[in-house]
Amino acid sequence: MPTPLFDKDYLKKLEYLELIARRLVFGRQQALRASFKKGASIEFKDFREYTPGDDPRTVDWSVYARLGNLVIKLFRQEQELDLWVLLDCSGSMNFGEPNKFDHARRIAGALAYIGMANMDSAGVTPFAADLLPGRDRQRGRGRIFGLLDFLAELPARGETNLATVARTFVSRVRRPGLVVILSDFYGLQNAQRAIDQLRFFKHELFVIQVAAPWEFDPPIRGELRLVDVENGGHDDLTVTDGMLRRYRAAFEKLSADLRSYSLKYSIGHASARTDVSFDDFLVGVLQRGGLVA
Amino acid sequence: MSLLAPWALWFGLVGAAVVALYLLKIKRQRQSVPSLEFWQALAGQVRARSLFQRLKRWFSLLLWLVIVACLVLAVGNPVFSLGRVKPQSIAVILDNSASMTTVEDAESNITRLTQALEALQELLDRRPVDDEWLLIEAGREPRVLAAWTRDRLAIRDAAKSIRPHLGAANLSAARDLASDLLAGKPEPVIVMLSDGANGQVEKLAASQPPLVHWPIGHTADNLGIALLRVRSHRPQAMHHAYVRVVNASAEEVKSQIVFELDETTSAVEPFAIPAGGAWEKTLALSQPQGGVLRAWIDRADVLATDNEAFAILEPLKPARVRLVSNPREAFFFEQALMAMEPLVDAESSHTLLIDEYERAAAGLEPADLIIFNNCAPKELPRSGAFVFVNAWPVALGAKVNGVIERPTISVARRDHPLMQHLSISVATVTKASDVTLTERATVLADSTGGSPLIFLLQQPDLAALCLAFDVLETDLPFRNAFPVLLRNAVVHLVSEQQAWVRDQYAIGDVVEPLRALPGGIEQVWVARLQKNEQIAEFALPVRGGAFRYDETAASAALRFRIGDDTAYAAVNLTSEDESRLALTRAQPDEDVSARLALTGRLFSTVPWLALAAIAAGLVGVEWLTYHFRWTE
Repeated sequence: MPTPLFDKDYLKKLEYLELIARRLVFGRQQALRASFKKGASIEFKDFREYTPGDDPRTVDWSVYARLGNLVIKLFRQEQELDLWVLLDCSGSMNFGEPNKFDHARRIAGALAYIGMANMDSAGVTPFAADLLPGRDRQRGRGRIFGLLDFLAELPARGETNLATVARTFVSRVRRPGLVVILSDFYGLQNAQRAIDQLRFFKHELFVIQVAAPWEFDPPIRGELRLVDVENGGHDDLTVTDGMLRRYRAAFEKLSADLRSYSLKYSIGHASARTDVSFDDFLVGVLQRGGLVA
Repeated sequence: MSLLAPWALWFGLVGAAVVALYLLKIKRQRQSVPSLEFWQALAGQVRARSLFQRLKRWFSLLLWLVIVACLVLAVGNPVFSLGRVKPQSIAVILDNSASMTTVEDAESNITRLTQALEALQELLDRRPVDDEWLLIEAGREPRVLAAWTRDRLAIRDAAKSIRPHLGAANLSAARDLASDLLAGKPEPVIVMLSDGANGQVEKLAASQPPLVHWPIGHTADNLGIALLRVRSHRPQAMHHAYVRVVNASAEEVKSQIVFELDETTSAVEPFAIPAGGAWEKTLALSQPQGGVLRAWIDRADVLATDNEAFAILEPLKPARVRLVSNPREAFFFEQALMAMEPLVDAESSHTLLIDEYERAAAGLEPADLIIFNNCAPKELPRSGAFVFVNAWPVALGAKVNGVIERPTISVARRDHPLMQHLSISVATVTKASDVTLTERATVLADSTGGSPLIFLLQQPDLAALCLAFDVLETDLPFRNAFPVLLRNAVVHLVSEQQAWVRDQYAIGDVVEPLRALPGGIEQVWVARLQKNEQIAEFALPVRGGAFRYDETAASAALRFRIGDDTAYAAVNLTSEDESRLALTRAQPDEDVSARLALTGRLFSTVPWLALAAIAAGLVGVEWLTYHFRWTE
């Protein structure tokens, strides 16, 4: 039986957090998020002339007293936020100590629970070369345990193709929502194409780059046969101090490029090192990055 | 080039191990990575610009093989020949005599023997060809330390076992041994590592096979006791000590010599010896009970061994003389013996008849000298000192043919101790026996016709002075010659018989008894008498009537307790050849390298060190090629 991602006490702590949506949402059900629709909330939106059939309780009597016209007050409708957590389940995520995939699914579970606890709908969609079956639009905190079990049993294997994933995702999900992508983002150009596609369909994006300490400073040297954990491909290389220096520079550049790309298009960005404690990451990194409050 | 340690080539197998390890090293370790493309992008840059990268693997292997080769050669200790030098059979004689313990450098305490070992090392290192070697130690007796071998390490190891011999070395015997062992060997040569032994090596250098003298040492500042002897003078109940001190240095030396008798200073004699000269002195010592004389020079110099010498003062015990005679004929003998006190112990000397002697021979107190006057025992005693007057046992080896009337005495051996201070030729003899000697004897006086009148028969344990006439038939009792002759007999025969061991031995000699020990003695107690040391006795077993004491490696006085008797012996260096330290050369100094065809040294140091340094440098190059970008 897989190890539970969180215990109940930790879930209670997560209830104090909520997701931040920087745009108005396009929800379907009434909830707590400001939406484009007019409806019944306490937030004033506009006036319009009274027409028969309107609820007389909405007539603004003070305007009628001054102008003699019947106008009614319109209020902003509050709807739910659609949270989509795209979780990279390729083989490259099943790497490092602490394991990147374990770290990523804890993040995914936590984000989903924060959303569900605040009356938003949350879904976790795993992907590798394409979208994999996931748990879509879960509402109500009572369903979190099913979601967490699903995450705990999720395997990580296969190759990544984020562009294909994005194409499939936008074909399925038409209504814009908050899309959080959890991945290591190897092959950044491919990832950028995918992000562009999601932006085009008005999704609010937040990218979280998951990385293990090994990837920042690999403790390897000498004559090695490097084996790709995704596809088993290998290559013989002599890893020297010079090569390690260049590797570290290249990995830093990958992270920096992702960060600058996100800034350029107002995409939320966070880096999740697996050796940083989960609490610090959630409270520190995600709060500073503006994903949770 | 040749290797001093060819067995090191076995280490060449390490090269195969290196190749194997290298192949194992090429069998790469698997390492999982999250994205191979990411690494390939990096490696692609390297591959694109480095042809050497592909060669590096083989370059590295080549470097390691060269490193192994260098190390193998270094362990093999190579020597290089700069010309055509033939391998030779080299017998090395290493002089380890006392003079080789001379301290050449006081600060570092380097002795000539240490320098000789260094010279041997240099010889082994610098011979450029594969020679055959033999190592001989020239101590008291030459000894082969390492038999013929081509393994120079074996010679070096054998040389480490050499210890100084604090006596004189027998270089001539060592050279003879080397010559014998070189017989039949190709290109024979003897190399003698010595300080010259006061010119002895020069004398040996002329003969075949050729001898190359490798001179050792340069110091000559030394005073040494070249001789210390003590002679007892029984008539005066004294001892005379003779000492000779030599000065080997190139300057006049003033110092003093101290004589200690049983650890009490008895004399201090100052002296001044010119450069290369000697000083001699005879001392009269009045200690009839005997003792140990120690002489030492009050001056520290480079050779300590010859600054001290020991000598033994034999106890001057009164002789116990037994007279076997008819009492009526004994008067003159008794008077003469009584006049000899303290030489003769009058209390233990007495007269008895021949019948009494024959009856109680076994039960009688032992006597140092027995005088038979006009009578003789039936059986010749097996040992002892005797004077036979006008009669002797048949077995003695002197046959009586008849009587000579009024013979004239002619002294045949005036220089003999028994005939000293004696004027006997004027004595009148009425008649004497005509004697023919059947055993070898020393005729001291004879008649004009050649018949022995006074003769000395000596066998290993027996000495007999025989007079072939009756003294009462002569006028001898009225002449001084009679008591003097008896006194000479007591002094000479008794003292000869009393010594169990010699009074002087050279260092390294074996002390053995001069005559067989009496039956019933199963062990002899030995003690070394040295100043400021407790005297510890230890037992020596007696086998076949003899003992053997060989711990004579240093100067000492020795005391042997043999039954109820005590004997003393001194062990000394006292060799002028050892004390005269000035280096003598058999050949000019520069000839040694040329005659032995010694080569120069690579990089001014021994080749193995240079090879080891090259190997270390190559390890550094290999490390750099592997770790730094310029090889990537």
